[in-house]
Amino acid sequence: MVTALDESVVEELGGILGDDDGVLTNVTSRAMRARVPAPFPVHRWFEYMPQVVVLPRTAEQVSEIVKFANRHRIPVVPRAGGTGLADGAVPLRGGIMVDIKRMSEIKEIDLVNRTVTVGPGINMLKLNEQLRKHGVMYPDDPASYPCSLVGGRIGTGGWSLLGARYGHTRDLVVSMQVVLPTGEIVDIGDGGGRKLRKSSTGLNLKQLFTGHQGTLGITTEATLELVPRAECEFAAFFAFDDYMKAHLTTGTLARSGLATLAGVVLFDERKLAYLRRDDEAYIPQPDWVVSAVAATLYGTRAEVEPASKRVMELGRSAGGKYVGDEISWGDWASRHDRYATPLHGRLPSGEVVPMCWHCEDAALTYSELPKVREEWHAIVQRYIDEYGIFDDWGMFAYTNGAYKPWGDYLVEIDVGIWEEKLNDETWAGWVNLKREIAEVSLRHGGSITACHGATRVGDAELVPTEMGTAWEVVKRVKRALDPNNIMNPGKQMLDQAYVSTDGEGSG
Amino acid sequence: MATKPKSDTRYDPRADGQLQEEFVEKWRDNAYGCFSSGHKFCREVCPVMQVTRNENHSPTAFHANIVAMEQGQVSVEDVADDYVHCTQCGACELRCPNTLFTGDFYRHRTETVKVVRAMRALMVDKGLDRQNWQVWNRLTDELKNEPVLGVGDGQPNGQEHVRDWADGLDIPVGGETIMFVDCEAAFYRTSIPRATAQILQKAGVPFGLMREQWCCGGPAAEMGYVEQSRAFAEHNVADWRAVGAKRIIAIEPHDYIHFTEDYPAYFGESFDFEVIQILELVAELIRDGRLKLERPIDRVVTYHDPCRLNKRKGIYEAPREILRAIPGLTFKDIDHVTQWSYCSGGGGGLPIEKPEIAAEISRQRLGRAAELEVDTLVSACVWSERPLAAAGSDVGIEVLDLIELVAEAAGIEAGGREGA
Amino acid sequence: MTDDTYRQGTYRRSEQEPPEPRPIADGVVSRFEHVLEVDPTLMRHFGQQKQPAWDTKRIVDSRWEHLRWMHDHFADEVLVAGEESETGAE
Repeated sequence: MVTALDESVVEELGGILGDDDGVLTNVTSRAMRARVPAPFPVHRWFEYMPQVVVLPRTAEQVSEIVKFANRHRIPVVPRAGGTGLADGAVPLRGGIMVDIKRMSEIKEIDLVNRTVTVGPGINMLKLNEQLRKHGVMYPDDPASYPCSLVGGRIGTGGWSLLGARYGHTRDLVVSMQVVLPTGEIVDIGDGGGRKLRKSSTGLNLKQLFTGHQGTLGITTEATLELVPRAECEFAAFFAFDDYMKAHLTTGTLARSGLATLAGVVLFDERKLAYLRRDDEAYIPQPDWVVSAVAATLYGTRAEVEPASKRVMELGRSAGGKYVGDEISWGDWASRHDRYATPLHGRLPSGEVVPMCWHCEDAALTYSELPKVREEWHAIVQRYIDEYGIFDDWGMFAYTNGAYKPWGDYLVEIDVGIWEEKLNDETWAGWVNLKREIAEVSLRHGGSITACHGATRVGDAELVPTEMGTAWEVVKRVKRALDPNNIMNPGKQMLDQAYVSTDGEGSG
Repeated sequence: MATKPKSDTRYDPRADGQLQEEFVEKWRDNAYGCFSSGHKFCREVCPVMQVTRNENHSPTAFHANIVAMEQGQVSVEDVADDYVHCTQCGACELRCPNTLFTGDFYRHRTETVKVVRAMRALMVDKGLDRQNWQVWNRLTDELKNEPVLGVGDGQPNGQEHVRDWADGLDIPVGGETIMFVDCEAAFYRTSIPRATAQILQKAGVPFGLMREQWCCGGPAAEMGYVEQSRAFAEHNVADWRAVGAKRIIAIEPHDYIHFTEDYPAYFGESFDFEVIQILELVAELIRDGRLKLERPIDRVVTYHDPCRLNKRKGIYEAPREILRAIPGLTFKDIDHVTQWSYCSGGGGGLPIEKPEIAAEISRQRLGRAAELEVDTLVSACVWSERPLAAAGSDVGIEVLDLIELVAEAAGIEAGGREGA
Repeated sequence: MTDDTYRQGTYRRSEQEPPEPRPIADGVVSRFEHVLEVDPTLMRHFGQQKQPAWDTKRIVDSRWEHLRWMHDHFADEVLVAGEESETGAE
């Protein structure tokens, strides 16, 4: 069990936070912030607890906490929603968990220059409920839309289901305020203006501070893009008797040139088989339906209506059959909710057991999708056969590029794990399974993570390999910004930044 | 890194006796059903979470704590305070995809309200129940009604005064249809039962009152005092049988919950009463022309969906139908799905133990209403109206009950008082 | 979709017991019209709850309301192709 911090340390933190109930040391406060929804070694839960939790309200408090942590060499782990899928917010070395949920205000809505400035602890759905009356929205729409928070989206470099149309988190954040690993509060944007979208002054730092998985600092405020609320939304789902026809159609739609295209999604055979277990839209489908493609459009009616006709043509161009209005309507609106239900889990016998959802999130080019699917399913089947507590929930491939749906894909294999049966042996098996899957991605010129982050064991070991020649630069940046290795240490192999060339380590 | 570590005493569940093991065994499926997902769709709809932003008050934590207890890593004492932070509004368990998307398919849904109540019952068994709740329920046991007027000198509490609200209305005792009047309405906001009674009389709906009306027992169940809840339920059902009742009109959402969930659980097949929620009856009376709403009311209103009608029971259309039938009203609606994340903070004993959180929840609710530029917030739950009215007075919005408006539109001078 | 106008404001205990299940597909049964359920024989490792009829109907109704809400949240108008299913499923 990770022990609580010494009294004097807790007292000093209390002094920084003021009289608020902002410093939590009791065991449940720490235990409840150990995991994120990704599969978790339940049998070792208490090895992953922070030593103390703080709930700051201001950037100044965050700054003081981080400076304090540097003085005492105590790790800091930033936590927003704790809804990530790659353990970015899981403490590996105890330390101070900085839980930013109380920094959740809307600070400014600028309808003239089209920005909204918020604390990192606000959820996008709740933000958009407030923005609606102004006819605008912040269209960052992941599967976790109802529960993830802006700060976590920035920390993970999130991906949006509407990315082809509106961009992803990194395209939608105009500027931000960050507390560096050494405690300074800095403003990061495009050039010096908070509301500028493009500048070439100095060095462009914004993308560096997006997707760092909490290893380069803590976002304390963000200025976000406001887009006009869509007049019109269109979704259509097509069924196929052959995966390759579906794959072909996916590419056709992705290259269509339709400006209102928000995304194309390809469902593989195992995904259809999985959906037939408990999804009312797929259970009644005839046996010949083995694969599916979905396409969605957002924009003005003048654009979407004609584009929808084109989508219907292209969706059918390789033999796709329209699944109908009701399913297209219902399935698209269900996009946040279908994934994580534990009772999707099945043993090889077909019996229902609650399983934790692992979502692999490789980025792969279009050409690689069919082969990767074969290799991944073969790997998962081997582990199902050996351990019996895993389950193959099939694969999705989503258009990945912001505004550019024709290039690469977020490719997901969903694996269920009967978590309560995990022990050291099955956990090790699980880690190997993850690593094998990730290695396939690299062999096919892909990335081991499009958006979740490579902060989990089984992925993290491959980060230096994937980064290749850029790894040296990554290490230098990490060491420069975080000399004491206190900011989310142990993640993404960044400890290597502190190993001197003769092999002696620090940090 | 850190300075000298403290020594932690490991918790041994076996030393704690049977209670905790039985509890964990019983709620294990519920716990893992949530913990294996952990996706926290519940969090942003939870009224307490919207105020405290403390993950320990999330439904996720309520379930995860049980897994932690199973592992012998935390005790009931460690986790008890978390479970105080809940109004039992039901938003979480409804919004959870395990309910909303697959709860019907698997015949297994998220049951956070039951989990919270079960933990609170365990706390009572172990002597860990909260001080203010102890006092409240002890007083309820003494008075046979909740001490909604406080227990200062001369407060007209208790059974001798439980029918005072009905003075001058000539309502019989007994009969096939009984109108059950909850404690807050009977003692604190008596305009509501008076309005309801006179509406039913005007529409020609026969009904009577109980001989001895005790508290429904619901609040006791919500705060963990299961034996007391059951005892009160037995008394009330005995009274209903004694007067030949077949139908019970529940004028208050909390009662509707208890009579349709707890009472059937206590009594099984022998619970053969028909339970009617007043708004459905009133909507029917208006629809059938038996109640005419002819006096216009010049107000700009918005409607507060009571949690125990909207989220817990799916009753959201009848009140809107009623509001649209009241002449003269300008009705600015917020849809009932958006209102899954709204609450008054009044339920689950929260105002008794955490009044500052309950007050902030109401303040935020009135903030939403104020954005619509209304002069009136209409609710249909008397327990919500006290905290909402307190917050309303800060922003110049009056809080009324839907039944009060209906009575006014029907030309009824309800009478009654608020408070002692 | 269920076009049920079930009255949630009237409760009779005798009406809450769900009908017997009839088989629909592999591992899937149905008790209420348009409502699919898992074959109970598959639920050996994880218990089912006593779910009264009113609760099943509340869940189904709420799901459709949520889906409507989610569409409306993102756009003012939802277009669909205006065509029936070509796969022959309901």
